[in-house]
Amino acid sequence: MQQLLSSPEIQSAVLPFAVALLIYLGLRKLTETAWLWALCAAFLLSAGLINGTTFTPLTGTRKIILLVAASFAIAALLPAVLQGRNRQRVALALICLSALSWVFWTVASRMQPGAITLLALGCAALVACLALSFERIAGNTAKLHGAGLGLLLGTGLSATAAASALLGQLGLALAAASGGAFLGWVLVGGAHGSNQGRHTISTLPYVLAPASLGVAAVMFASLPWYALIPLAAIPLAVSLVPLKADSRFLRALLASLPALAIAIAVALWVWQTSGSDSGY
Amino acid sequence: MKKYVLIAALAALPVKSVLAADYTVDSSHTYVSFAVSHLGFSTMRGQFDQQTGSMQFDPAAKKASVMIEIESASIDTGHDKRDSHLRSPDFLNAAEYPTISFESTDVSWNGEQPATVTGNLTLLGVSQPVTLTITAMKCGTNPINKKETCGFDATGSIKRTDFGMNYGVPGIGEVVDLSIEFEATRN
Repeated sequence: MQQLLSSPEIQSAVLPFAVALLIYLGLRKLTETAWLWALCAAFLLSAGLINGTTFTPLTGTRKIILLVAASFAIAALLPAVLQGRNRQRVALALICLSALSWVFWTVASRMQPGAITLLALGCAALVACLALSFERIAGNTAKLHGAGLGLLLGTGLSATAAASALLGQLGLALAAASGGAFLGWVLVGGAHGSNQGRHTISTLPYVLAPASLGVAAVMFASLPWYALIPLAAIPLAVSLVPLKADSRFLRALLASLPALAIAIAVALWVWQTSGSDSGY
Repeated sequence: MKKYVLIAALAALPVKSVLAADYTVDSSHTYVSFAVSHLGFSTMRGQFDQQTGSMQFDPAAKKASVMIEIESASIDTGHDKRDSHLRSPDFLNAAEYPTISFESTDVSWNGEQPATVTGNLTLLGVSQPVTLTITAMKCGTNPINKKETCGFDATGSIKRTDFGMNYGVPGIGEVVDLSIEFEATRN
Protein backbone atom coordinates (compact mmCIF):
# COMPACT_ATOMS: atom_id res chain seq x y z
CA MET A 1 0.00 0.00 0.00
CA GLN A 2 2.80 2.39 0.96
CA GLN A 3 4.54 1.69 -2.34
CA LEU A 4 1.29 2.35 -4.20
CA LEU A 5 0.75 5.66 -2.41
CA SER A 6 4.29 6.79 -3.15
CA SER A 7 3.80 6.34 -6.89
CA PRO A 8 3.60 9.75 -8.66
CA GLU A 9 0.80 8.49 -10.93
CA ILE A 10 -1.34 7.62 -7.91
CA GLN A 11 -0.43 10.78 -5.97
CA SER A 12 -1.06 13.27 -8.72
CA ALA A 13 -3.50 11.58 -11.09
CA VAL A 14 -5.58 8.63 -9.93
CA LEU A 15 -6.20 9.64 -6.32
CA PRO A 16 -7.08 13.34 -6.79
CA PHE A 17 -9.29 12.48 -9.76
CA ALA A 18 -11.22 9.80 -7.86
CA VAL A 19 -11.49 11.80 -4.63
CA ALA A 20 -12.73 14.93 -6.38
CA LEU A 21 -15.25 12.94 -8.41
CA LEU A 22 -16.63 11.12 -5.36
CA ILE A 23 -16.81 14.21 -3.17
CA TYR A 24 -18.46 16.20 -5.93
CA LEU A 25 -21.05 13.48 -6.42
CA GLY A 26 -21.66 13.33 -2.68
CA LEU A 27 -21.94 17.07 -2.04
CA ARG A 28 -23.51 18.43 -5.21
CA LYS A 29 -27.04 18.41 -3.81
CA LEU A 30 -25.99 19.97 -0.54
CA THR A 31 -24.05 22.99 -1.73
CA GLU A 32 -23.40 24.89 -4.91
CA THR A 33 -19.75 25.08 -3.89
CA ALA A 34 -19.39 21.28 -4.00
CA TRP A 35 -16.76 21.51 -6.74
CA LEU A 36 -14.57 23.78 -4.62
CA TRP A 37 -14.69 21.44 -1.62
CA ALA A 38 -14.10 18.45 -3.89
CA LEU A 39 -10.99 20.06 -5.36
CA CYS A 40 -9.82 21.21 -1.94
CA ALA A 41 -10.05 17.72 -0.40
CA ALA A 42 -8.40 16.06 -3.39
CA PHE A 43 -5.58 18.62 -3.44
CA LEU A 44 -4.92 18.35 0.29
CA LEU A 45 -4.70 14.58 0.04
CA SER A 46 -2.34 14.72 -2.93
CA ALA A 47 -0.21 17.50 -1.47
CA GLY A 48 0.06 15.53 1.78
CA LEU A 49 1.36 12.51 -0.12
CA ILE A 50 3.69 14.54 -2.34
CA ASN A 51 5.11 16.93 0.26
CA GLY A 52 4.38 15.12 3.50
CA THR A 53 2.89 16.92 6.45
CA THR A 54 6.03 18.87 7.31
CA PHE A 55 5.94 22.59 6.64
CA THR A 56 9.29 23.60 8.11
CA PRO A 57 11.31 25.12 6.71
CA LEU A 58 8.51 27.03 5.01
CA THR A 59 9.73 26.96 1.42
CA GLY A 60 8.02 28.67 -1.48
CA THR A 61 6.50 25.37 -2.62
CA ARG A 62 5.04 24.72 0.84
CA LYS A 63 3.63 28.24 0.92
CA ILE A 64 1.95 27.53 -2.42
CA ILE A 65 0.35 24.38 -0.99
CA LEU A 66 -1.06 26.33 1.97
CA LEU A 67 -2.26 29.17 -0.22
CA VAL A 68 -3.95 26.98 -2.82
CA ALA A 69 -5.71 25.00 -0.09
CA ALA A 70 -6.85 28.26 1.53
CA SER A 71 -8.01 29.63 -1.82
CA PHE A 72 -10.67 26.92 -2.11
CA ALA A 73 -12.10 27.80 1.29
CA ILE A 74 -11.97 31.55 0.54
CA ALA A 75 -13.66 31.02 -2.82
CA ALA A 76 -16.40 28.97 -1.19
CA LEU A 77 -17.03 31.19 1.83
CA LEU A 78 -16.22 34.77 0.83
CA PRO A 79 -19.16 35.35 -1.56
CA ALA A 80 -21.50 35.07 1.45
CA VAL A 81 -19.94 38.13 3.07
CA LEU A 82 -18.52 40.03 0.13
CA GLN A 83 -21.22 40.92 -2.41
CA GLY A 84 -20.73 42.83 -5.62
CA ARG A 85 -18.53 42.13 -8.61
CA ASN A 86 -16.20 45.09 -8.14
CA ARG A 87 -15.54 44.31 -4.48
CA GLN A 88 -14.82 40.72 -5.40
CA ARG A 89 -12.48 41.82 -8.20
CA VAL A 90 -10.51 43.96 -5.75
CA ALA A 91 -10.46 41.15 -3.18
CA LEU A 92 -9.27 38.62 -5.76
CA ALA A 93 -6.49 40.91 -6.99
CA LEU A 94 -5.35 41.72 -3.46
CA ILE A 95 -5.38 38.09 -2.36
CA CYS A 96 -3.44 36.92 -5.41
CA LEU A 97 -0.81 39.66 -5.31
CA SER A 98 -0.32 39.36 -1.53
CA ALA A 99 -0.01 35.59 -1.91
CA LEU A 100 2.57 35.84 -4.69
CA SER A 101 4.53 38.44 -2.70
CA TRP A 102 4.63 36.11 0.30
CA VAL A 103 5.77 33.14 -1.79
CA PHE A 104 8.47 34.91 -3.78
CA TRP A 105 9.73 37.65 -1.47
CA THR A 106 12.58 35.50 -0.10
CA VAL A 107 14.03 35.20 -3.58
CA ALA A 108 12.94 38.62 -4.84
CA SER A 109 14.62 40.38 -1.91
CA ARG A 110 18.01 39.25 -3.24
CA MET A 111 17.31 40.57 -6.75
CA GLN A 112 18.23 43.93 -8.25
CA PRO A 113 15.47 46.62 -8.10
CA GLY A 114 14.97 46.42 -11.86
CA ALA A 115 14.47 42.65 -11.72
CA ILE A 116 12.04 42.99 -8.78
CA THR A 117 10.02 45.53 -10.78
CA LEU A 118 9.90 43.21 -13.78
CA LEU A 119 8.84 40.31 -11.57
CA ALA A 120 6.11 42.37 -9.91
CA LEU A 121 4.80 43.64 -13.24
CA GLY A 122 4.87 40.13 -14.70
CA CYS A 123 2.96 38.70 -11.74
CA ALA A 124 0.40 41.52 -11.90
CA ALA A 125 -0.09 41.04 -15.65
CA LEU A 126 -0.48 37.27 -15.24
CA VAL A 127 -3.03 37.61 -12.44
CA ALA A 128 -4.97 40.30 -14.34
CA CYS A 129 -5.04 38.22 -17.53
CA LEU A 130 -6.20 35.05 -15.73
CA ALA A 131 -8.71 36.85 -13.49
CA LEU A 132 -10.39 38.77 -16.32
CA SER A 133 -10.47 35.72 -18.62
CA PHE A 134 -11.90 33.44 -15.93
CA GLU A 135 -14.48 36.06 -14.99
CA ARG A 136 -15.79 35.97 -18.58
CA ILE A 137 -16.44 32.24 -18.30
CA ALA A 138 -17.30 31.93 -14.58
CA GLY A 139 -20.99 31.46 -15.42
CA ASN A 140 -20.39 28.65 -17.87
CA THR A 141 -19.47 25.41 -16.11
CA ALA A 142 -18.13 23.68 -19.22
CA LYS A 143 -15.87 26.61 -20.10
CA LEU A 144 -14.80 27.30 -16.51
CA HIS A 145 -13.67 23.76 -15.84
CA GLY A 146 -12.42 23.11 -19.38
CA ALA A 147 -10.13 26.12 -19.06
CA GLY A 148 -9.15 25.28 -15.47
CA LEU A 149 -8.34 21.69 -16.39
CA GLY A 150 -6.24 22.71 -19.41
CA LEU A 151 -4.42 25.51 -17.61
CA LEU A 152 -3.50 23.36 -14.61
CA LEU A 153 -2.49 20.44 -16.81
CA GLY A 154 -0.33 22.73 -18.95
CA THR A 155 1.28 24.30 -15.89
CA GLY A 156 1.98 20.92 -14.30
CA LEU A 157 3.38 19.33 -17.46
CA SER A 158 5.49 22.39 -18.28
CA ALA A 159 6.95 22.56 -14.76
CA THR A 160 7.81 18.85 -14.99
CA ALA A 161 9.32 19.26 -18.44
CA ALA A 162 11.35 22.29 -17.32
CA ALA A 163 12.95 20.90 -14.18
CA SER A 164 10.72 20.33 -11.17
CA ALA A 165 8.76 17.15 -10.57
CA LEU A 166 7.51 18.58 -7.26
CA LEU A 167 5.87 21.67 -8.75
CA GLY A 168 4.76 19.60 -11.72
CA GLN A 169 3.07 17.01 -9.54
CA LEU A 170 1.17 19.69 -7.62
CA GLY A 171 -0.10 21.17 -10.89
CA LEU A 172 -1.04 17.76 -12.24
CA ALA A 173 -2.82 16.83 -9.00
CA LEU A 174 -4.92 19.99 -9.28
CA ALA A 175 -5.63 19.22 -12.94
CA ALA A 176 -6.70 15.68 -12.05
CA ALA A 177 -8.95 16.97 -9.27
CA SER A 178 -10.46 19.50 -11.63
CA GLY A 179 -11.01 16.71 -14.14
CA GLY A 180 -12.72 14.58 -11.50
CA ALA A 181 -15.18 17.31 -10.49
CA PHE A 182 -15.71 18.17 -14.16
CA LEU A 183 -16.56 14.55 -14.95
CA GLY A 184 -18.98 14.58 -12.02
CA TRP A 185 -20.74 17.56 -13.57
CA VAL A 186 -20.82 15.85 -16.98
CA LEU A 187 -22.35 12.72 -15.43
CA VAL A 188 -24.98 14.23 -13.16
CA GLY A 189 -24.95 18.00 -13.63
CA GLY A 190 -24.98 20.42 -10.75
CA ALA A 191 -25.82 23.92 -9.72
CA HIS A 192 -22.36 25.36 -9.73
CA GLY A 193 -22.50 26.66 -13.30
CA SER A 194 -24.77 29.68 -13.66
CA ASN A 195 -25.23 30.18 -9.91
CA GLN A 196 -21.52 30.66 -9.46
CA GLY A 197 -21.37 33.02 -12.39
CA ARG A 198 -22.02 36.10 -10.34
CA HIS A 199 -19.26 35.21 -7.93
CA THR A 200 -15.99 36.46 -9.37
CA ILE A 201 -14.16 35.30 -6.26
CA SER A 202 -15.16 31.67 -6.91
CA THR A 203 -12.57 31.61 -9.72
CA LEU A 204 -9.79 32.38 -7.19
CA PRO A 205 -8.26 28.85 -7.14
CA TYR A 206 -8.14 28.76 -10.95
CA VAL A 207 -6.27 32.08 -10.91
CA LEU A 208 -4.01 31.65 -7.89
CA ALA A 209 -2.93 28.02 -8.35
CA PRO A 210 -1.61 28.25 -11.94
CA ALA A 211 -0.17 31.74 -11.34
CA SER A 212 1.80 30.68 -8.26
CA LEU A 213 2.91 27.34 -9.69
CA GLY A 214 3.80 28.92 -13.03
CA VAL A 215 5.88 31.74 -11.52
CA ALA A 216 7.52 29.23 -9.13
CA ALA A 217 8.46 27.04 -12.09
CA VAL A 218 10.05 30.08 -13.74
CA MET A 219 11.92 31.22 -10.64
CA PHE A 220 12.85 27.90 -9.06
CA ALA A 221 12.94 25.46 -11.96
CA SER A 222 14.14 27.08 -15.20
CA LEU A 223 10.77 27.24 -16.96
CA PRO A 224 11.17 29.93 -19.66
CA TRP A 225 8.98 32.89 -18.58
CA TYR A 226 7.47 33.21 -22.04
CA ALA A 227 5.93 29.73 -21.69
CA LEU A 228 3.45 31.36 -19.31
CA ILE A 229 2.05 33.55 -22.12
CA PRO A 230 0.31 30.79 -24.12
CA LEU A 231 -0.72 29.10 -20.86
CA ALA A 232 -2.31 32.35 -19.62
CA ALA A 233 -4.18 32.60 -22.92
CA ILE A 234 -5.98 29.28 -22.31
CA PRO A 235 -9.07 30.70 -20.49
CA LEU A 236 -9.33 33.47 -23.09
CA ALA A 237 -9.16 30.91 -25.91
CA VAL A 238 -11.84 28.79 -24.24
CA SER A 239 -14.06 31.83 -23.75
CA LEU A 240 -14.13 32.30 -27.53
CA VAL A 241 -15.43 28.78 -28.25
CA PRO A 242 -19.13 28.83 -29.26
CA LEU A 243 -21.04 26.25 -27.19
CA LYS A 244 -24.50 25.62 -28.64
CA ALA A 245 -24.85 21.91 -27.84
CA ASP A 246 -27.44 20.76 -25.28
CA SER A 247 -25.42 17.79 -24.17
CA ARG A 248 -23.17 18.41 -21.17
CA PHE A 249 -20.70 15.90 -22.56
CA LEU A 250 -20.40 17.74 -25.87
CA ARG A 251 -20.09 21.12 -24.17
CA ALA A 252 -17.39 19.76 -21.87
CA LEU A 253 -15.56 18.22 -24.81
CA LEU A 254 -15.70 21.35 -26.97
CA ALA A 255 -14.58 23.58 -24.10
CA SER A 256 -11.74 21.26 -23.09
CA LEU A 257 -10.27 20.55 -26.51
CA PRO A 258 -8.62 23.94 -27.19
CA ALA A 259 -7.44 24.14 -23.58
CA LEU A 260 -5.86 20.68 -23.70
CA ALA A 261 -4.37 21.31 -27.13
CA ILE A 262 -2.61 24.49 -25.96
CA ALA A 263 -1.51 22.85 -22.71
CA ILE A 264 0.05 19.85 -24.44
CA ALA A 265 1.65 21.99 -27.16
CA VAL A 266 3.30 24.26 -24.56
CA ALA A 267 4.53 21.29 -22.51
CA LEU A 268 6.00 19.60 -25.60
CA TRP A 269 7.70 22.84 -26.60
CA VAL A 270 9.19 23.26 -23.11
CA TRP A 271 10.31 19.63 -23.15
CA GLN A 272 12.06 20.13 -26.51
CA THR A 273 13.73 23.42 -25.59
CA SER A 274 14.96 22.29 -22.19
CA GLY A 275 16.49 19.11 -23.59
CA SER A 276 14.60 15.87 -23.85
CA ASP A 277 17.26 13.75 -22.14
CA SER A 278 16.56 14.06 -18.43
CA GLY A 279 19.93 12.66 -17.41
CA TYR A 280 18.43 9.87 -15.33
CA MET B 1 60.01 44.62 37.92
CA LYS B 2 59.95 40.84 37.22
CA LYS B 3 56.33 41.19 36.14
CA TYR B 4 57.22 43.79 33.49
CA VAL B 5 60.09 41.66 32.17
CA LEU B 6 57.71 38.69 31.84
CA ILE B 7 55.13 40.77 29.97
CA ALA B 8 57.81 42.14 27.62
CA ALA B 9 59.10 38.61 26.96
CA LEU B 10 55.61 37.32 26.19
CA ALA B 11 54.97 40.26 23.87
CA ALA B 12 58.15 39.47 21.99
CA LEU B 13 57.03 35.90 21.25
CA PRO B 14 55.92 35.27 17.65
CA VAL B 15 52.17 35.74 17.53
CA LYS B 16 51.58 32.55 15.57
CA SER B 17 52.76 30.37 18.42
CA VAL B 18 50.17 31.91 20.73
CA LEU B 19 47.14 32.47 18.47
CA ALA B 20 45.65 30.22 15.81
CA ALA B 21 46.56 31.59 12.39
CA ASP B 22 43.85 32.78 10.04
CA TYR B 23 43.64 31.24 6.60
CA THR B 24 41.45 31.88 3.59
CA VAL B 25 40.19 28.98 1.52
CA ASP B 26 41.76 29.03 -1.94
CA SER B 27 38.77 28.45 -4.25
CA SER B 28 41.01 27.54 -7.19
CA HIS B 29 42.35 24.53 -5.28
CA THR B 30 39.16 23.48 -3.54
CA TYR B 31 36.86 20.70 -4.69
CA VAL B 32 33.58 19.82 -3.06
CA SER B 33 32.22 16.71 -4.70
CA PHE B 34 29.59 14.09 -4.01
CA ALA B 35 28.69 10.59 -5.09
CA VAL B 36 25.24 9.02 -4.97
CA SER B 37 23.73 5.77 -6.16
CA HIS B 38 21.95 6.03 -9.51
CA LEU B 39 19.04 3.59 -9.33
CA GLY B 40 21.43 0.99 -7.92
CA PHE B 41 23.15 0.62 -11.30
CA SER B 42 26.17 2.81 -10.75
CA THR B 43 27.51 5.76 -8.78
CA MET B 44 26.72 9.23 -10.06
CA ARG B 45 29.26 11.93 -9.26
CA GLY B 46 29.09 15.69 -9.25
CA GLN B 47 30.75 18.71 -7.75
CA PHE B 48 30.19 22.32 -6.79
CA ASP B 49 32.22 24.86 -8.73
CA GLN B 50 31.92 27.88 -6.43
CA GLN B 51 32.88 27.97 -2.76
CA THR B 52 34.52 30.28 -0.25
CA GLY B 53 35.71 29.78 3.29
CA SER B 54 38.06 30.52 6.11
CA MET B 55 40.04 28.54 8.63
CA GLN B 56 41.86 29.05 11.91
CA PHE B 57 44.62 26.54 12.41
CA ASP B 58 47.19 26.04 15.14
CA PRO B 59 48.47 22.44 15.25
CA ALA B 60 50.83 23.13 18.15
CA ALA B 61 47.92 24.18 20.35
CA LYS B 62 45.64 21.62 18.70
CA LYS B 63 43.18 24.32 17.81
CA ALA B 64 41.41 24.49 14.50
CA SER B 65 38.14 25.58 13.01
CA VAL B 66 36.85 25.82 9.48
CA MET B 67 33.90 27.38 7.71
CA ILE B 68 33.06 26.68 4.08
CA GLU B 69 30.19 28.20 2.07
CA ILE B 70 29.19 26.54 -1.16
CA GLU B 71 27.06 28.14 -3.86
CA SER B 72 24.23 25.65 -4.45
CA ALA B 73 23.59 26.82 -8.00
CA SER B 74 27.17 25.94 -8.97
CA ILE B 75 26.35 22.21 -8.97
CA ASP B 76 27.86 20.46 -11.93
CA THR B 77 27.28 16.84 -12.90
CA GLY B 78 28.27 17.31 -16.52
CA HIS B 79 24.65 17.31 -17.77
CA ASP B 80 22.82 20.63 -18.12
CA LYS B 81 19.26 19.40 -17.75
CA ARG B 82 20.09 17.21 -14.77
CA ASP B 83 21.90 20.16 -13.17
CA SER B 84 18.77 22.32 -13.66
CA HIS B 85 16.73 19.62 -11.96
CA LEU B 86 19.25 19.37 -9.10
CA ARG B 87 18.93 23.17 -8.61
CA SER B 88 15.11 22.94 -8.47
CA PRO B 89 12.95 22.52 -5.34
CA ASP B 90 13.13 18.74 -5.88
CA PHE B 91 16.73 18.78 -4.64
CA LEU B 92 18.81 21.85 -3.70
CA ASN B 93 16.16 24.57 -4.15
CA ALA B 94 19.02 26.88 -5.11
CA ALA B 95 16.83 29.95 -5.67
CA GLU B 96 15.58 29.91 -2.09
CA TYR B 97 18.67 28.42 -0.47
CA PRO B 98 21.60 29.82 -2.45
CA THR B 99 24.28 28.58 -0.05
CA ILE B 100 25.21 25.33 1.62
CA SER B 101 27.50 25.83 4.58
CA PHE B 102 29.68 23.77 6.85
CA GLU B 103 30.90 25.23 10.12
CA SER B 104 33.11 23.12 12.37
CA THR B 105 32.33 22.71 16.04
CA ASP B 106 34.99 20.22 17.08
CA VAL B 107 38.24 18.79 15.75
CA SER B 108 39.85 15.60 17.00
CA TRP B 109 43.62 15.21 16.72
CA ASN B 110 46.04 12.44 16.04
CA GLY B 111 49.29 13.98 17.27
CA GLU B 112 49.65 17.30 15.44
CA GLN B 113 47.42 16.10 12.62
CA PRO B 114 43.67 16.70 12.70
CA ALA B 115 41.87 13.36 12.40
CA THR B 116 38.20 14.30 12.18
CA VAL B 117 36.22 17.50 11.91
CA THR B 118 32.70 17.60 13.30
CA GLY B 119 30.44 20.47 12.42
CA ASN B 120 27.05 21.62 11.30
CA LEU B 121 26.13 21.22 7.68
CA THR B 122 23.31 23.56 6.68
CA LEU B 123 21.45 22.45 3.59
CA LEU B 124 17.95 23.54 2.55
CA GLY B 125 17.76 25.63 5.70
CA VAL B 126 18.25 22.57 7.93
CA SER B 127 21.37 22.17 10.07
CA GLN B 128 22.59 18.69 10.99
CA PRO B 129 25.85 17.51 12.57
CA VAL B 130 28.27 15.88 10.16
CA THR B 131 31.69 14.36 10.82
CA LEU B 132 34.36 14.47 8.15
CA THR B 133 37.42 12.24 8.30
CA ILE B 134 40.70 13.87 7.30
CA THR B 135 42.48 11.44 4.99
CA ALA B 136 45.43 13.63 4.01
CA MET B 137 46.94 16.88 5.21
CA LYS B 138 50.03 18.98 4.56
CA CYS B 139 51.10 22.43 5.70
CA GLY B 140 54.10 24.36 4.40
CA THR B 141 55.26 27.09 2.07
CA ASN B 142 53.91 26.86 -1.46
CA PRO B 143 57.09 26.76 -3.61
CA ILE B 144 55.47 28.76 -6.40
CA ASN B 145 53.65 31.64 -4.68
CA LYS B 146 55.69 31.45 -1.46
CA LYS B 147 52.56 31.66 0.68
CA GLU B 148 52.04 29.56 3.77
CA THR B 149 49.50 26.98 2.72
CA CYS B 150 47.63 24.10 4.30
CA GLY B 151 45.83 21.45 2.31
CA PHE B 152 43.34 18.83 3.47
CA ASP B 153 41.45 15.92 1.96
CA ALA B 154 38.31 14.97 3.87
CA THR B 155 35.47 12.54 3.37
CA GLY B 156 32.12 11.92 5.00
CA SER B 157 28.56 11.04 4.22
CA ILE B 158 25.06 12.36 4.90
CA LYS B 159 21.52 11.07 4.63
CA ARG B 160 19.87 13.64 2.40
CA THR B 161 16.44 12.91 3.84
CA ASP B 162 17.72 14.33 7.15
CA PHE B 163 17.71 17.69 5.37
CA GLY B 164 14.25 17.24 3.84
CA MET B 165 15.60 16.29 0.41
CA ASN B 166 13.29 13.37 -0.24
CA TYR B 167 12.85 13.37 -3.99
CA GLY B 168 13.67 10.14 -5.80
CA VAL B 169 14.46 8.11 -2.66
CA PRO B 170 15.34 5.24 -2.74
CA GLY B 171 16.09 5.05 -6.48
CA ILE B 172 18.43 8.00 -6.29
CA GLY B 173 20.45 7.13 -3.22
CA GLU B 174 19.49 8.43 0.19
CA VAL B 175 23.10 8.34 1.40
CA VAL B 176 25.35 10.88 -0.28
CA ASP B 177 29.11 10.47 0.04
CA LEU B 178 30.95 13.76 0.33
CA SER B 179 34.51 14.50 -0.56
CA ILE B 180 36.17 17.81 0.17
CA GLU B 181 39.69 18.63 -0.90
CA PHE B 182 40.77 22.14 -0.07
CA GLU B 183 43.74 24.41 0.29
CA ALA B 184 43.88 27.50 2.43
CA THR B 185 46.49 30.23 2.40
CA ARG B 186 47.56 32.12 5.46
CA ASN B 187 46.32 35.71 5.64
